[in-house]
Amino acid sequence: MKDNEFSNSRRDFLKRTGLASLGLLSCSALSAAIPSGNGRLGGLLGALGPDEAQAAPEIIDIKDKLRTTFGSRKVEMSHVDMKTPIIAENGAVVPIKISSDLPMNSGDYVKRIYIFADKNHNPFIASMDLTPANGKAALALRIKMRQTSQVRAILETSNGKLYGSTKTVKVTIGGCGG
Amino acid sequence: MPRIGKIKIRVPRSIHKGEVIAIKTLITHPMETGFRKDKKTKKKIPAFYISDVSMYYGDTLISRADWTIAVSTNPFMTFYVKADKTAPLKIVWKDIRGGVYEKTIQIKPQ
Repeated sequence: MKDNEFSNSRRDFLKRTGLASLGLLSCSALSAAIPSGNGRLGGLLGALGPDEAQAAPEIIDIKDKLRTTFGSRKVEMSHVDMKTPIIAENGAVVPIKISSDLPMNSGDYVKRIYIFADKNHNPFIASMDLTPANGKAALALRIKMRQTSQVRAILETSNGKLYGSTKTVKVTIGGCGG
Repeated sequence: MPRIGKIKIRVPRSIHKGEVIAIKTLITHPMETGFRKDKKTKKKIPAFYISDVSMYYGDTLISRADWTIAVSTNPFMTFYVKADKTAPLKIVWKDIRGGVYEKTIQIKPQ
C-alpha cells in the first residue's frame, strides 16, 4: 500500500484491515458480530450505514416521470409494436425493438420515441427525435434494467398525440451495479 | 480497458432509391452508471456515459437521441433512414466528459 493512500483515508485503511482479518464476512454480518459499544471498530461499522445510504441514487417514480414528461395527455395503446425478451438473464443487456405503423409524412410524423423502465432509479432510459427523413418510426437499442418491471415505449407524433406499448421483462440479475 | 469510441456501422449491401434502410451502429463505451464499485478499492466508479447521439444525412440533422446511464455498455442501436439521395451519413456520439466520436459512411442508392 502506498503511503499517501494510507494517510489520506484512515477510514479506508481500517475498513481494509478489518475486512482482511475477518475474511469474507459481509458488513452487516460484521456489525452483528461486534457489540456496538466495542470501541473504534464498532463505531466505524456503525458509520458505514449512513455513508452507503447517502450514496444511493435518487429514485424517481414512473408516474411522476410520465406526468412531468407528458402532462395530462392520454397515451393510446395502439400502433406501437415492441419486442422484448420475456426473461432477460442479464439486466445489463436487454434488447428492445420498437416499431410502428404510424405515417412518416412531412405533415404528420412521429416526432419522438421514448423508452422507460418502471423500476429503474431513473425510469427514463432514452429518447430519440425523428424526422420524416427517417422513413419509419422504429428503433432498436440495448438497455439496462435494475429488476423485473414493465418497459414502456411511447411515441409522440407531430400533432401531439401519444401512442404506447408496454411489456413486462423478467430480470434475473440486475444491470445497474451497486 | 478496451479502446473507447471504436465504431462499427453496417448498412445493407445494395440499396434501392427511396428504400427505407436499417442502419446498425455499435460503439465501444463503458457507459458507467456511477453506482458500480471497484471491487479492489471499494470506491465508486464515477458515471461516464454517452448522452447525445446525432445523425446527419447530407447536411441535415435527421435524428437525435438522448441517452442516460440505462443504455447498455457498448451501445448497439438500429435506426432507419429513407435513402433518397447519394450523400454521406454522419453519426456523432458525445459523452459527458466532452468526448466526441464520429463516423461517416456513404449512402449510394441505385
